[in-house]
Amino acid sequence: MKNKLIKNLNQLLLAIGIIILSLLVGAIIISFSGNSPLEAYSTMFNGAFGSKQRFMEVLVRMIPLVIMALGTSVAFKAKLWNIGGDGQFIVGSILAVSVSLYSGLPPVIGVPLSIIAAMIGGALWSGLAGLLRVKFNAPEVITTLMLNYIAVYLLSFLVYGPMMDPLGSKMPQTANISTAYRLPLFESGNRLHMGIFIALFIVVIMVFFWKTTVGYKIDLLGQGEKVTTYSGVSVKKMIVFTMAISGLLAGIAGWTEVFGVQYRLLEGITSGYGSIAVVIALMGGLNPIGILISGFFFSALLVGGSTMQRMTEIPYSIVEIVQGLIIIFIIARTAINFKEIKNRITRRLSNVK
Amino acid sequence: MLGELKNKHNAVEMHNIVKEFYDVRANDDVDFFVKNGSIHGLLGENGAGKTTLMNILFGIYHPEEGEIFINGEKQDISSPTKAISLGIGMVHQHFMLARPFSIVENVMLGRKSRKGILLDTKETAADLVALAEKYKMKIDPYAKVWQLSVGEQQRVEILTALYQGAEVLILDEPTAVLTPQEVEGLFETLREMKNDGKAIILITHKLEEILSIVDEVTVLRDGSMIGHVEVNENTTKSELTKMMVGRDVLFNFNKACIKTGKEKLVIKDLKVLNDKNFLALDGFSLDIHSGEILGLAGVDGNGQKELCEAITGIRPIEAGEVKLDTINIENKPPIVAINKGISHIPEDRHITGLALGWSLKKNLILKTFKDNTKFGLVDEKKIEKRWKSAQVDYDIKANSGEDSAKDLSGGNQQKVILARELGSHPVILIANQPTRGLDIGATEYVRQKIIDAKGDGAGVLLVSADLEEILQLSDRIAVIYDGKIMGILPCGSNVKNIGELMMGKKLEVEENEK
Repeated sequence: MKNKLIKNLNQLLLAIGIIILSLLVGAIIISFSGNSPLEAYSTMFNGAFGSKQRFMEVLVRMIPLVIMALGTSVAFKAKLWNIGGDGQFIVGSILAVSVSLYSGLPPVIGVPLSIIAAMIGGALWSGLAGLLRVKFNAPEVITTLMLNYIAVYLLSFLVYGPMMDPLGSKMPQTANISTAYRLPLFESGNRLHMGIFIALFIVVIMVFFWKTTVGYKIDLLGQGEKVTTYSGVSVKKMIVFTMAISGLLAGIAGWTEVFGVQYRLLEGITSGYGSIAVVIALMGGLNPIGILISGFFFSALLVGGSTMQRMTEIPYSIVEIVQGLIIIFIIARTAINFKEIKNRITRRLSNVK
Repeated sequence: MLGELKNKHNAVEMHNIVKEFYDVRANDDVDFFVKNGSIHGLLGENGAGKTTLMNILFGIYHPEEGEIFINGEKQDISSPTKAISLGIGMVHQHFMLARPFSIVENVMLGRKSRKGILLDTKETAADLVALAEKYKMKIDPYAKVWQLSVGEQQRVEILTALYQGAEVLILDEPTAVLTPQEVEGLFETLREMKNDGKAIILITHKLEEILSIVDEVTVLRDGSMIGHVEVNENTTKSELTKMMVGRDVLFNFNKACIKTGKEKLVIKDLKVLNDKNFLALDGFSLDIHSGEILGLAGVDGNGQKELCEAITGIRPIEAGEVKLDTINIENKPPIVAINKGISHIPEDRHITGLALGWSLKKNLILKTFKDNTKFGLVDEKKIEKRWKSAQVDYDIKANSGEDSAKDLSGGNQQKVILARELGSHPVILIANQPTRGLDIGATEYVRQKIIDAKGDGAGVLLVSADLEEILQLSDRIAVIYDGKIMGILPCGSNVKNIGELMMGKKLEVEENEK
C-alpha cells in the first residue's frame, strides 16, 4: 500500500516536472517572438482562474476532455492506439441528437435513450476499427484516424442536408434540442452544467473498473497477445471489446457536450478534443485520478490561452507549442533510460576517486 | 608487467580481466590461459561470465581492466575484425548465417575476391571442400543454408572461422543443439584441429563434455575464476560441480520406474501446422498416464512446441483427437484446458509464461482472476496471501509481491510460473523445456518440483532437448522426430538408441529392449 502511494506520488512529481520544463522551454520561444513570457503566463493564469466565471469555464472544458481521455486510456492500456476519439464523439452525438430531435419521446425515456444512443454510436465507430484489426489485421492507428474523417464529413453532410434546422437561416447546424432534454445548469448566465457530476462519476467508476476481472484482462492484453492467449483470454474478442469500451466513453463525452453546452449539432463540434484527450491520458499515466488532474490542467491551459490571445498580442499557438512540448517530454521520458544515466554518473564519480 | 615476454606456447593469455555491466561485475579479475594444440574447457553456470570473457577475447566487448596476450604478444583487441586478423575465430550460440545463401557464398561474405570485381566462387568452394575433408567434415558447398540441419549449419560456422585463418577457435555451447551422434562428429573434428596445433576453447556447462574431450578446464563462478584443472582419468564430475556451484549437488533423483496409473490424456493422429503453415505434427499419437513423467526427447524444432500449444488449445488442430479422460478437448479455446486442470510451463517464459510488466502477485493469478474476486473486484488481500505462501513454498527471491516480473532472474521467474501452474494441482502438466537457461541450483529445484507434481498424481509431459534431463526424470521416454513419434522406450534405455531415434532412424532395437 505504502509502495503504491510512493509510486503515485513519484508519478505526480514527474508530471509536474514535465509541465514546468515545457513552460520553461515555452518561455524561451515566447521571448524569441518578442513578447514577455511572464506577461503571457500571468494572463494565461488569470484567464483561467481570474474570476469565478473563468474558473467555471475551465470546468466546462474539462467535462468532455476527461471523459474522452478516460476512453483513450482504456484502449492505450491494452496497447491499442485508438486516436479516433473525435470520430467516436461525433457519431455518438449524431445518434443522441437524432433520438432527442426525432423520436418524440417524453424526456423520462428520451434522455436515458439518448445517452444509450451516444454510447452505442461511439462504441460502434471504435468497435469497427477493432473488428478491422481482428479480421484483416488493419492497424487501429490508421483505421481510427480514417474513421475520424468519415465521421467529420458525415456530420457536415447531415448538418448541411437532412438534419439542417428547417427554421434556421441556412446555418450548418441542427435545430435546438428541447429544453427538457438539456443538462441543467448550475446557475443561469453560466455555462457550467451538471455534466461535471457525470464526469466525476465516470472517474470513480474507472477507478473500480481497473480492479474488475474485465479491467485486468484489458491490462493483460497490453502485456502481449501471447501471454493473453496463454492465460485463457481470447485476444480477438478482447480487442473488439476494449476498442468498443474506449469509443463508448468518447460517445458519452459527445453527449455531455451536445446536451450540456451546444444544445445542437454543428460543424467542428469536437474542436480537436480527441488529440488533447490523448495527451491528457498519457500525462495522467492512464490512471483515472491522474487523468482527472491532467484534464484539469489542460482545460486551464486552453481556457487561459484563449483569454491570453484576446487580451495580449501573444498568439494562441503558444498554447499548442506548450502542448507539443509536453508530448515530446512524455515520449522522451520513456525513451531515455534515466537509471542508466544515473549509473554511469555514479560510476564516473567513483572512478575519479 | 608491461613488456615482459609471455610464454610463447600459450596461444591466449588473459590477465586480470575486469568487465562491468552497470553495477554488475560480469568478470572480476579473471586470468585465463590456453595452450596451443589443446582443447580448453570454460566451465560455469549460466551467468558465471563465460560468454562475456570470450566476447572480450573476440573484441565484441572491451574490458575495463586487464591485458590480453596472443602468442606472447600484447594485443588490444578493439573489434571482431581485429580478433580475426589475429587468428581468433568464434562460433556463436546463435548462428550468424545468411539463410538464403549457399555455404560457399556465406564463407565469401565480407572477404575480398581474388578475381577483383568478379566472384571467385569456384576457387573458394574447392578450398572449402579440401578444408572440410582435412577436418573430417562433409559438406556440399553449394547447398543453401536454410536447407541445412542445425548440425550442418554449425559446421559452416566452424569452416568459415577456419577459412579466415583461425588458430584459436571459440565455441559457445556448441553441443546444445546437437544429437548425441552429431556431438561425436563435432568432437572428432575438434580433435583433428587440436592435432593440427590449433587451440580450441569450449564454453559449456555440461560436465560430460569436459570429461570426454577437454584437456584442461577453467572454472568460473559469479564472474570470478575459481580454478584451473588439468583433466585426466582422476577428474570427477562431483569435483568439477563443486567448483562450479560451490557446494555438492544431487544429480540422481532416486527415481524408481514406477508402474504408471491409468491413461489420462490421449493424443491420436494429430496434425498441426507451424507458424510457416507447414505440418509440424503429422500423425502424432501419444498417451500420458496419471502419476508418470513421460519424457519427450528430440532435437529442437521437431514439433515439440506445436504439440504443447495444440494440447493447451493455443494452436489450432487440423486433424486428430486430444482426449482428457473421455472428453474431446481438441480445438477448444485455452480456457477449457485451464479449467480442466491442464497446466502448462511454456518454452518461452518471457513472452508467453509471464506478463513481464506486471507485479509478481498479479502473475500468480494470471489464469484465475475470477476465483480471486470479491463483489466483482479483484481481492488484493487474498492475492497478497497467495503470494506470501507461494514465495515461501517455491523459494522465490524477491523483495515483495509488487516487484515487476521482469526484474527477476530467470530461475526466479520460472519459480513464479511453477507456483502458478502447480499451485492449482493439475491433472496434467505440460512442461516444455522447463530448465532451459537456468543455473544448476534452479534446475535442480524445478526438477524436484516436477517429480513432486507426479507424486501428487499428475500426468507429466516433459519436453526437453536436454537428454540428460529426460533420462533422469522420465518413467517412459518417447522420441519425436519430424512431427512423429519414433518410438517409446522404458526408463533406463540406452542413450545411443534414443540418439538414433532423435535423428529419425527406425530401430530394430525396439524389439531388443522388450
